[in-house]
Amino acid sequence: MHVALIGLFALQAAAGGGGVVRGEVRDPRGAPIRGAVVGVPGTTLYAFTDAAGRYRLAPINPGEVRVRAAAIGYAAATTTITVADSARADFTLDPSPFELTPLDVVSTKVPHFGEPSTSVAQVSAQDIARRAVNTVDEAIDKAAGVQILNGQINIRGSTGYVQGLNSRVLLLVDGVPMNQGDRGGINWDLLPVDQIERVDILKGAGSSLYGSAALGGVVNLTTRDVPTGFHTRLRVTGGVFADPPHPEWSFRNTTGTAGGADLSASYGTETAAGRVAFGARHSDGYRQQDARDHWQLAGKGRWQATARTRVDVSGAWAVDRYQVPLAWCSRSECDDRGQIFQPFKVDTTELGARTDSRKGYVSAQLRTVASDKFAWQARGSWLRTNFSDYRRSATEASVANRVGIEARAEAHPDPARTVLVGGEATFSDVTSDIFGTHSQSEFAAYGESEQRIGPARLTAGARLDYLAVDAGSLTAVVSPRVGGTVPLAGGTLRASVGRGFRAPTMAERFVHTFAAGFEIIPNPTLRPETGWSMELGHTTPVLGPVRIDAALFWTEARDLIEPTLVVDTTPKIQLQNVTRARIAGLDATLLAAPIPDHLTATLAYTYLTTQPVLAFRPTHLLTASADYAPAGTGGAWGLGADFRFASRPERIELEGFVDPRRVPVRVLDLRASWTSRQFDVRLLMANALNYIYNLVPETLAPVRTITVTASWSY
Amino acid sequence: MSLRPAVALVAVVSAALACDAGLEPEPICARGLVGVCGTIRFSGTVPDSTDNVFVAAYTSFPQTCTQLILNRRPFIPSSVPYTDSVSLYSIELLPDTYEWVLAVWKKVGTLTLTANDTNLLRVAGYFRSPADSTLPGSVTVPNGGVADSVDFRVNFDSLRPATDFVTCTLR
Repeated sequence: MHVALIGLFALQAAAGGGGVVRGEVRDPRGAPIRGAVVGVPGTTLYAFTDAAGRYRLAPINPGEVRVRAAAIGYAAATTTITVADSARADFTLDPSPFELTPLDVVSTKVPHFGEPSTSVAQVSAQDIARRAVNTVDEAIDKAAGVQILNGQINIRGSTGYVQGLNSRVLLLVDGVPMNQGDRGGINWDLLPVDQIERVDILKGAGSSLYGSAALGGVVNLTTRDVPTGFHTRLRVTGGVFADPPHPEWSFRNTTGTAGGADLSASYGTETAAGRVAFGARHSDGYRQQDARDHWQLAGKGRWQATARTRVDVSGAWAVDRYQVPLAWCSRSECDDRGQIFQPFKVDTTELGARTDSRKGYVSAQLRTVASDKFAWQARGSWLRTNFSDYRRSATEASVANRVGIEARAEAHPDPARTVLVGGEATFSDVTSDIFGTHSQSEFAAYGESEQRIGPARLTAGARLDYLAVDAGSLTAVVSPRVGGTVPLAGGTLRASVGRGFRAPTMAERFVHTFAAGFEIIPNPTLRPETGWSMELGHTTPVLGPVRIDAALFWTEARDLIEPTLVVDTTPKIQLQNVTRARIAGLDATLLAAPIPDHLTATLAYTYLTTQPVLAFRPTHLLTASADYAPAGTGGAWGLGADFRFASRPERIELEGFVDPRRVPVRVLDLRASWTSRQFDVRLLMANALNYIYNLVPETLAPVRTITVTASWSY
Repeated sequence: MSLRPAVALVAVVSAALACDAGLEPEPICARGLVGVCGTIRFSGTVPDSTDNVFVAAYTSFPQTCTQLILNRRPFIPSSVPYTDSVSLYSIELLPDTYEWVLAVWKKVGTLTLTANDTNLLRVAGYFRSPADSTLPGSVTVPNGGVADSVDFRVNFDSLRPATDFVTCTLR
């Protein structure tokens, strides 16, 4: 590491008082590092670098200031400068593939420049670009301990698979909750991946700060900041799907293709900036009745109202029309060609099924840094989802809104202590022919404090949530959490205990429909799911360029909501609080950089055990990744591979009523890239071995897909 | 650590873990079979006294209990799995036309190859005529070939005694 202190500039401080520190963060080759965190430890002052690696910190009290810069994959650097009105501090960060962004928990709440007390996995914009994916779930599916089951995220086996009726993981976009108002599920294609700077995945209960749905974890998408100057970016993708590997599974005479384009343009000054992005995609799909079209519009703006106050607004709108391959064809349900099942074909009684989906959000955040010891923030958001399912048997539709407001204050009474307090209110409503017309309100207050004691760091906090359905009586849920980190044996030991919860979604309470031949009946008396999560982890460097992170985790969950067969005059399915469960296991990640800056490798393994045996939880989950950039090419060429193994789940829901076929997951992705200053071209061969498998019953997982992605940036 | 061993290690581990075939085609009828094959869809509650379920065929509809017991093909059929919702079956039969192909439920107990066996056996379901689903359908096994798609249903809640179909005199 070396720090280049350029010096002091006698510039006028920005309006609002105090000094300003500006600078750039670059790698040893001089390339800008985007998304680095630069801040003054122990204060409210921090900022992220833009695409040009630039940052700006204000207002700074005159005098000596210690400034620290850190970024994913780089060793952090610190310097002390003297500030009068304005100063400049440039940083050059050396590659260190083991480093995570030093943010507390997962949001841009408080930088602490230390190890978090709970396991956090991060996916950077570089990771997303390298994998040449189109949606966020495709990018995070390779993160350690994370598995996506047909669009539903599992962090350490949290959710299982319930056909999108809920999620035990909370999605945040720039810190704003974005789970659907009616079903509580997640729309992974709400935002174009090109607009995402970073994904942080908090493993374990996060309800002490984030409330409902953060029972199994939190995923925070940080969108790219808008840089100064004029910038535009064009991204074009095209790909082909492999044909079925066996002629008896053939279902079409042509090769399936997919393609799309995204275009974004932005202009900004230090005072104000804005970006708009538009994209469209079409896919023929890899199986029968799997075509989809997607259009999206996204925008982001910032306004530095004063040196102390910044306003951010963002929004997105996405429209999808996709065919729905509800279940693969079993014997006699289609032209089965003498096969017991046809995974590439669908039951002909559901030919023509499709879904039209429209969803969007707008959010606005205001942050004021009153001093280096106190800052406050307020935000408002509106998420709207709207879908219509068209099937031969019935047409179903739902329109849901989720409106949220939040205010919080951050104080640093002394350099060793940080206090965060806030309040939040969320109002959701749904109008649907399967969920009825209902509303749900959530009111919450929370607080968390972090205290440094020597080299140790302790955090403690709690959140109180009140829930009301259809303006009925309030249900209270308390979610405390304590955690800490201690340097130990050359590494860092971390431990945390916290309580999480998830309020039943309106869909779970009021759904009345038919699925898989069963009538699904409502259950308005559902109670919130709760669970205590404990974690003990240690991260340590071993053998020079190798680092190991291991964590034992344990969750004791109560009142888990599961589909239950109710035998009335006819068998029906109802969601009930039936399960008290224990989910425990081990997460271990080995990172190695045998040739620093040229070859990096990651091996992550998760062992999971549940009591009783919960559906759709693989016991073993393994991910291996390697990236190689040949020496002497300046990093322009790159090769990489990801391998994912998940053992066959011991149990599935509705066993005996659906096709029980399931196999382990063994998927290898290969990729290659060529990058220059303005262009990059990436080749991805997903599922290169064309391994045929399913993650959930009667639903074929993606086959080999070869995609070429070309991007041009100005 | 040099590059070559690292790449080789990754390749070997990946290949070893990826060598499973995943889902494969599953033909209903075994290759080379001479006989009938198809699927049985099960419904209802499996009785606690269940010993097994098997598939049998008759060239002509049995008229007596003796014919019922002794004329079935195969003479001693093997059991088919009935704990899943759908089961495949393949039975070897001589080329001929069979008037009755049925699934038989057997209660726990020892067969004596006499009419008394009907106490232990129930008609669980049979292949029905495509023209009139109230009647059994006939199946022809060609020379050296197979009669496929001989599919039928079994409802464990409505097992029927053999005496519903055949007149028996029990000792």
